[in-house]
Amino acid sequence: MTAPTGAPAPVARPAGPGTEASLAEDLDAYRLALRDHLRTEPALESFRGRRYPSTEARMADHARLERLLHDAGWSRYGWPATVGGLGGDERHRAVLYDELAAAGLPVPGQHMLLETLGPPIVRFAPELAAAYLPAYLRGEEWWGQGFSEPEAGSDLASLRCRARRDGDTYAVTGQKLWTSHGATATRLVCLVRTGTPESRHRGLSMIMIDVDSPGVTVRPIAMANGDNELAEVFFDDVVVPTSRLIGAEGQGWAVAMYLLQFERAMYAWLSAAEALRRLRELRGQLAARAAGGRPVPDGAAARLGEAYAHLVALRARSAGTVRRLAVGDTVGPEASVDKVLLATAEICLHDVARDLLGDEFLFAAEGAAGGNALAAGTVEAAQWRTDWWFSRSATILGGSAEVQRTILADHVLGLPKEAKP
Amino acid sequence: MTPMTRTTTGLDAQTAELLTGSLRKMLADNPDGSGLGDTLAELGWDEVLADDRPGATTLLFVEHGRALATSRVLDEVLLAELAPSLPAPGTGPRAPFYPLGTAAPVAPDAPLAGLLLGGLDGVAEVVVPVALDGQVGLSLVPADLVAAATRPAGGFDPASRWLLVDGPVAELTRYAGSEDGSRVWDRAVAVGRLAVAAEIIGVCAAALAIAVEHTSARVQYGRQIATFQAVRHRLSEAHVAIESARSVLAAAWKALEHPDGGSGAARLAKLRAGWAQAEVMRHALQVCGAMGLSLEHPLHRHVSRAAALDALLGGHRALTGQLGAELLTGAELDPIVEI
Repeated sequence: MTAPTGAPAPVARPAGPGTEASLAEDLDAYRLALRDHLRTEPALESFRGRRYPSTEARMADHARLERLLHDAGWSRYGWPATVGGLGGDERHRAVLYDELAAAGLPVPGQHMLLETLGPPIVRFAPELAAAYLPAYLRGEEWWGQGFSEPEAGSDLASLRCRARRDGDTYAVTGQKLWTSHGATATRLVCLVRTGTPESRHRGLSMIMIDVDSPGVTVRPIAMANGDNELAEVFFDDVVVPTSRLIGAEGQGWAVAMYLLQFERAMYAWLSAAEALRRLRELRGQLAARAAGGRPVPDGAAARLGEAYAHLVALRARSAGTVRRLAVGDTVGPEASVDKVLLATAEICLHDVARDLLGDEFLFAAEGAAGGNALAAGTVEAAQWRTDWWFSRSATILGGSAEVQRTILADHVLGLPKEAKP
Repeated sequence: MTPMTRTTTGLDAQTAELLTGSLRKMLADNPDGSGLGDTLAELGWDEVLADDRPGATTLLFVEHGRALATSRVLDEVLLAELAPSLPAPGTGPRAPFYPLGTAAPVAPDAPLAGLLLGGLDGVAEVVVPVALDGQVGLSLVPADLVAAATRPAGGFDPASRWLLVDGPVAELTRYAGSEDGSRVWDRAVAVGRLAVAAEIIGVCAAALAIAVEHTSARVQYGRQIATFQAVRHRLSEAHVAIESARSVLAAAWKALEHPDGGSGAARLAKLRAGWAQAEVMRHALQVCGAMGLSLEHPLHRHVSRAAALDALLGGHRALTGQLGAELLTGAELDPIVEI
C-alpha cells in the first residue's frame, strides 16, 4: 500500500487458504485467482445482466455483491490491514474492476466513492479509516461526497457551508448539492468553511458527517432518467466532533487535491472497465437484432470501432496513471487528460448505443405482446436510456469539461492566463 | 514494491535526451534525411535498438516527424522485419510497397494501388505483399517493372517525395520471394504502424508548438489571443489528442512483446495517431487564423505531412471501419491494456 501513513505490511492469516500475503505481492497471481473465482462462483451468477428499477434497489443489491467479494477476500486487496484490507496497492483494486467487467459482472456502485473517499481518509484520518472503512468494504455502509453547493459548482473554493468550532465540536450549517448516492449514503464527507467567508481555498476543512445526526435533511434529486442518483443535503446546526476531521482544520483544499488524484485515476479506470463491458453487451444486442432480421444501420461499423478505440485510448492512459499512483507518485494537472478521455469515451459509447438502437432506444414498447419486433429489446434499451442520462454527467461531475481544459491550458501547456473580468 | 508487471525501458532519460538532441539537430540541418544513416551509425543505433527498441524507434520517428523529414528510414524498419523470410538481396537494395486503404495485401491479378517512400533509382526489387488463398506471399518485383506504374505522389503533400504506384504490374506471383509471408508481413505492418504513429505524433507536437507560440504572441482586443477561453480549450484538446496517441503507442509496443500478438494493438495505435492528427490540425489551423493558411507560414506543411502519414499503412477512417466491421461479426473486444 502506498499510503504514506506507514500502513503495516499485510499479515498472512492463519485461517483460509493462507495465500493472502503472496497475492498481495504478486499481482498476476491475484489476477488469475480472481478471474477463476469470478467465472466459477455460482453465488455471483444473479448479478450478471441484472437490471434494477431504481438506484436504491441497485445499491442494495450491489451491497450484497460487495459482501460476497469481501468475504472471499478479493475486494480487500489494495487496502491496508488497518482498514480491514489484505495489502497490495492500487493496482489490485484496478485489476478487481477489470476482472469483474471482463466476467460480465458490475462493479458495485459503492466503489465509485470508495475510490475517491477511501484513499484520503486512509492518508489523512487513519483513525476514522480504521473505524469505518472496514464496514464500507463489507458492503454494510457507503458514503457520499459533499462538495458542490448551489453557489459553488465549478468554483468550488467559493463554497459557504460553514463549520463553527466550539471546543471539541463543530456546528455545521449550510447546504450541499449534487451529492452522488446522497439518497442512500449513511455518512457524508464534506468540504466545509472553517475560515472567514473570504478565505477561499485557504479556509476549508474536510469532515465526515453522519447522515442520522440531528439537523441533517436529505432530499433526493431525481435525474432526468427518474433515478435518485443525487441529493441535496441541508445542515442546520449539526453537531460534529472535531475527531471527524479528515486532515487538520484549514487543510481541506489539500485533502481535496489529494482525493482528486484517485478520482482521476481509479474512477477513470473503473469506468473504462465498465464501459468495455457495456460495449460488449451492445455488440451482443446488435448481433441478436441482426439475427432476428433487423440489420444494423448504415455506418454502424465505424461508430462501434470509434467507441472501442476511444475506450482503448482511455485504458492506455489510465493504466499509466494508476501505476504511477501505485508507486507513490503524485498525479498532477496532467491527469486532466485522463478526465477528458474518460468523458469522451463515455459520451461516445452512449451516443453510439442511442443511435444504433434507434427506435428501440427512443420508444418503449412496454406491455407489447411477445413477437413484437420492439418488445424483445425493451429491457436492454431501458438500461441504455438510463445510462445515457448518467453518461452526460461525465463532462460535468468531478470538474467540468471546461475546468479540465483550463487546467491543461494553465498548468500543462503554460498558456498565458485567461483575462479576469 | 515488487516489479510484478512493470517493465523497465532500457533507455534512460539522459540517454534519450542526448539522442533526441543529436537527431533533432541533424534532421533540422538535413530535412531530406541525407546523412541520417551516418548519424545513426555514429550514435551506435544498433546498440540503442537492441537495448530498447520501442523507446529508440519512437524517439527516432517522433523527431523525423517533428522535422518533417523525408528519409526512407521507415523502409529499413519494414525490410528488417521482412528479411528473415526473403532470400538474401542479390542484385541490389529493396524497397517495400505500401498498399493504400487498410494496407491489405494486393490481389495477384489486380492493379497495384499504393506508395513508395522515394524514387526507384538504385533500387533493384520492390517487395509487394500478395494475397494468396488466405496466405500472404511476398513478391520481389523487379523495380523497372514497377517504375512504369509510378508517378510522383505530390497532391496534398507536395514535399513528401513519395511515389504513387497506380497501375497494373503483370504476374506479381512470378516473382515470389516467399509464399508464406503472412506472419512476417503482419509483423512488418505492425512495427511500421508504430513507427508511423510516432512520426505523426512528432508532426502533431510540432504543429501544437507552433499554435501555442502563435497564440501567445498574437495580440487582438489588446490581449494575447491565448488568453481567450475558446482558443485555450482548442489547444488543450489538441494536447489531449496527442497524449492519448502516445499512451496507445506505448501500450502497443508492449503488446508487441508477445510473439503472436500485437497487430491489433498496433492498428489501434496507428488509428489513434491518425485521429489525433485530424484533431490537432483542425484546432491548430483555426487558432493560427489566416496566417496558418498561407504558404509562408510553416503550419500547412505539418497539416499536409500528417495527412499523408495518416494514409500510410492504413488511414484512421479506413482502420476504424475495418475494426468496427470485425467487432460486428463477433471479434473479441480485446482490452489491449492490462494493469
